[in-house]
Amino acid sequence: MTTTDVRPQVHADKSDGPLKRRPEVSGREKLLRYVLLLFVLVITVGPFLWQLSTSLKGAGEDIYTATPSFIPKQPTLDNYAKVAEAIPVWRYIGNSLLVAALTVGGNILFATAAGYAIARLRFRGRRVVLGLFLGTLVLPGEVTIIAQYVTVRSFGLADTLAGVALPGMVAALNVLLMYNAFRALPQEVDEAAIVDGATVPQRLWRVSLPAVRGTLAVVAIFAFIQAWDDFLWPLIVLTSPEKLTLTVGLQYLSGTFTQDQRLIAAGTMIAFIPIAILFSALQRYFFKGVEEGGVKG
Amino acid sequence: MPAYGLEELTMRIRHATIAAVAALTLGVTAACGGGSGDEAKSDDITGEITLQTWALTPKFTGYLNEVIAGFQAKYPGTSVKLLDQPGDGYAEKVLAQASSNTLPDVVNLPPDMALPLARQDLLADVSKNGDLSKTYVQGSIDAYKFTGLDGVYGYPWYLNTDLNYWNAKQFKECGLDAAKPPATTQELFAQAATLKGKCPDGYLMSRKPDVTDFVRGGIKILSDDGKQFVFNTDQAAALVDQYRDAYAKGFMPPSVLNSDYQGNSKLFTQGKVAWTTGGATGLADFERDNPSLKGRIAVNKALDTPPLYVQGVSVSAKSKHPATARAFAEWITNADNQNKFGHLVNIFPSTVSSASDGYFSKDDGTPGGKARALAFDELKEAKVLIPYEVNSDMQILLDQQIALAVKGDVTSRKALDDAVAKMNQMLSRQ
Repeated sequence: MTTTDVRPQVHADKSDGPLKRRPEVSGREKLLRYVLLLFVLVITVGPFLWQLSTSLKGAGEDIYTATPSFIPKQPTLDNYAKVAEAIPVWRYIGNSLLVAALTVGGNILFATAAGYAIARLRFRGRRVVLGLFLGTLVLPGEVTIIAQYVTVRSFGLADTLAGVALPGMVAALNVLLMYNAFRALPQEVDEAAIVDGATVPQRLWRVSLPAVRGTLAVVAIFAFIQAWDDFLWPLIVLTSPEKLTLTVGLQYLSGTFTQDQRLIAAGTMIAFIPIAILFSALQRYFFKGVEEGGVKG
Repeated sequence: MPAYGLEELTMRIRHATIAAVAALTLGVTAACGGGSGDEAKSDDITGEITLQTWALTPKFTGYLNEVIAGFQAKYPGTSVKLLDQPGDGYAEKVLAQASSNTLPDVVNLPPDMALPLARQDLLADVSKNGDLSKTYVQGSIDAYKFTGLDGVYGYPWYLNTDLNYWNAKQFKECGLDAAKPPATTQELFAQAATLKGKCPDGYLMSRKPDVTDFVRGGIKILSDDGKQFVFNTDQAAALVDQYRDAYAKGFMPPSVLNSDYQGNSKLFTQGKVAWTTGGATGLADFERDNPSLKGRIAVNKALDTPPLYVQGVSVSAKSKHPATARAFAEWITNADNQNKFGHLVNIFPSTVSSASDGYFSKDDGTPGGKARALAFDELKEAKVLIPYEVNSDMQILLDQQIALAVKGDVTSRKALDDAVAKMNQMLSRQ
């Protein structure tokens, strides 16, 4: 499969002539490529496989061996059941889903609106706004975390899931992604819509949005992963054990005196599986979206 | 650069950033909030308070609820809300609470976390009400006394120490006697050489030196006024040199250069090294992770001077019910409640009268019982080996410098000089 032939149509006018044919790949080079691919696969997937196999290992077999063994000798699902016994895992999943839904919804709404405004509307200070968005990307989140917490607390949102979701509901990176996607659309289409008397919301809703669905999917995935994986921020905002999100709640599996690696591995898998499912369901849009927004930048 | 992975390094840097920023913010808000805390404070033991513990649920939920129920029955009109926090990120959580004036009334804090809060007047001095030394072991009270501050900033709770765990099977195969494992650091070097001679692929030593080894060796860490680190001496450099030579001879696996605390126990469980240190609870963990280790682990007392680990509960200076909070902190740390806790898991009460509880000193023949009896005996001579001024960021810094020296990239003396210079900067900012 080649990747060069799936360029989005918007850019078709820019491609310079017919695509070059790739030269034939020799057998040896092919082998080398596959070996390298496999090598990278092992590096990236290996730790997950190890966690997965640990979570399936029975109480009678060794976890840490000099040469890692991936196939459990006494396979069992007990560890997953024990996780559910030890912590209210469904409640934590529910909390995480709520935060993720708020974050995804917020980002789709606000990043679209902001991105469209900066890309398509003329107003004073447009460049300054864009610069500010870019500027906040440079700041690491940890620097502002205490100030953010004090702010959220003064809204009365400490120890609530809304307080966890609020600061993440519009991320600067997502605004820039949407800005880029809107900017890549031909200006002429918009102008034609103006001639036809379309208002700004109509132009956004009927003309521009349908063309950037791919980027919207990217924003949704980014927002979901960010909300689902975040650890430090929910840890700081939430105090009551029953309100914790999954990533924080899973930490109860490694207690002060005992750390059952099998349970911790099972917990990690529980947190990882939803993301894997979401990504594989949306990956078609994901790659489409990455190209759509990024090429012209 | 030392052999840290990029990701780990970034995490460490991030961690350091959070700590620095949190400390900064803490200073600012605490300074601002100082004058406004004059709300009506009641001296009666009544009202609702919160108790924050560190990663004790769900395993000890039952025990904690029992302690709380006992308190509420003794003092009608009180109620205690338990907020147990997850293990990771506890320092960040506490700093965030401190900087936003939301510290729970009773907080489980080890001494190094209590120190910055005590410096900002956020913790109550608990030495004013009666003589603590009648109830608690002196060493555990001293852990909550800080240079430059009067008073004691936490009730000692449970204690622990380290034991040595040895792989008896490897000892036998490699010409060593598991009945006579090393008792001092120097014996460790000697037996490591013996093991290497018989088993070229085996390792006895499993960690590089850290600040505890300097304290064990009698090297002075801090100047008398507590404002300067002074451990960059010839004696310390000689000790690091000894480790460097041992590393060059292959007595330690290369991965010790980027080991964190869990490092040596993982290597031990894998069977890659024949020695690890760990608390009295460690044995159960090793055997659960690798059931094949059952019956193959020999235990003895920690090398040289055993370390003392203290956990305590502090009372927030801003508590609305200070009397209730103090009463509860005394209640949860009383001999009766601590003994019960110690019977549930291999930790040790900080109360004087617990010495008469035969459970802790009796070797009941099981490996866990032996570990418990050994550790309990060890506590008599155990000392705090990590001075509380040396916080986790400083330990990471020292760790990196020592890794460079052990690897042979810089001389031991230069590594120590560099570490001391940077740690002094960090100390002056605290």
